[in-house]
Amino acid sequence: MFVYGTVFGGLAVQAGLHAVEVLAMSVLVFAGAAQFVAVPMIAGDASPLSVILTTYVVNMRHYLMAATLAPSIGAFSRWRLALIAHVVNDESFAVSVSRSRPPDAGIFLGSAAAIAAAFVGGVAVGTLIGGLVAEPERYGLDFAFPAVFLALVATQLRRRGDWLVAVGSALVALAIAVRLPGNWHIVIAGLTVSAAGALAGDPEDAR
Amino acid sequence: MRASVVLTIAGMAVVTYLTRAPLLLALARRPLPTRLRLWLRLIPLAVLPALAVPMVLAPGGQLVQSVAEPRLWGAVAVVVLAGRRVNLLVSVTAGVAIVAVLRAIG
Repeated sequence: MFVYGTVFGGLAVQAGLHAVEVLAMSVLVFAGAAQFVAVPMIAGDASPLSVILTTYVVNMRHYLMAATLAPSIGAFSRWRLALIAHVVNDESFAVSVSRSRPPDAGIFLGSAAAIAAAFVGGVAVGTLIGGLVAEPERYGLDFAFPAVFLALVATQLRRRGDWLVAVGSALVALAIAVRLPGNWHIVIAGLTVSAAGALAGDPEDAR
Repeated sequence: MRASVVLTIAGMAVVTYLTRAPLLLALARRPLPTRLRLWLRLIPLAVLPALAVPMVLAPGGQLVQSVAEPRLWGAVAVVVLAGRRVNLLVSVTAGVAIVAVLRAIG
């Protein structure tokens, strides 16, 4: 997570964001995938509304994690839970469900704290390194953002339905992107193709 | 910090919190309906290609016309490597390196 944070911090500064903005985002949003998605949009002067809406859609998967974790951490007071909610993320969720089902509150909180510290520390280091590289295109660094998105998807594709949704969404988004300016193809294709996949797919695929 | 970026980050923080807190605080004992769970799982699998593929194949809304486009081959490498469960950062680095090399020789 430290390295992931460093890469994010470095690329975000490269893309033209200020170090303070990158750090503020990492602490306040604290959602790696959504931050990777937001940076090239912000750098490309996308409207705040389109960035915020895309962030929401990318992060809707948290509903699934929160619902799975909720029964395990009911022992905490409500204001503590409100704080704990902020550190629900892919990695701490993955760690806690891989150790025990239902997930253990202690393992979840411990891994969440370690991941938060490593990620934000990594981002801080990355923002320092990122400013040092001149001519990022020469090193292919402008390709790093789509590369991260493709790698994140490819590691999650397990079933035939997953592949159909991913490829179908890419084609629908491409068809929209060449006709409609702006970034709306992301949210439109993302929501409609995943919904079609959920309606047509095997319910067993929800796992 | 620029005002529009501050607004964007604040909005991102609010909507992200709204994806995390409600169900945690509701302490729902009932699992979510199956099709809803499937949809929530499929959303990132649809959003990420919807974002990445036009960035690679139609930057600026213009379809790439040549199969020699370096980003195309970088993307193929990333998908093949990450699909074979090669470490995420290794897959990304390999894709970036391929793009850099193809640009250097192209």
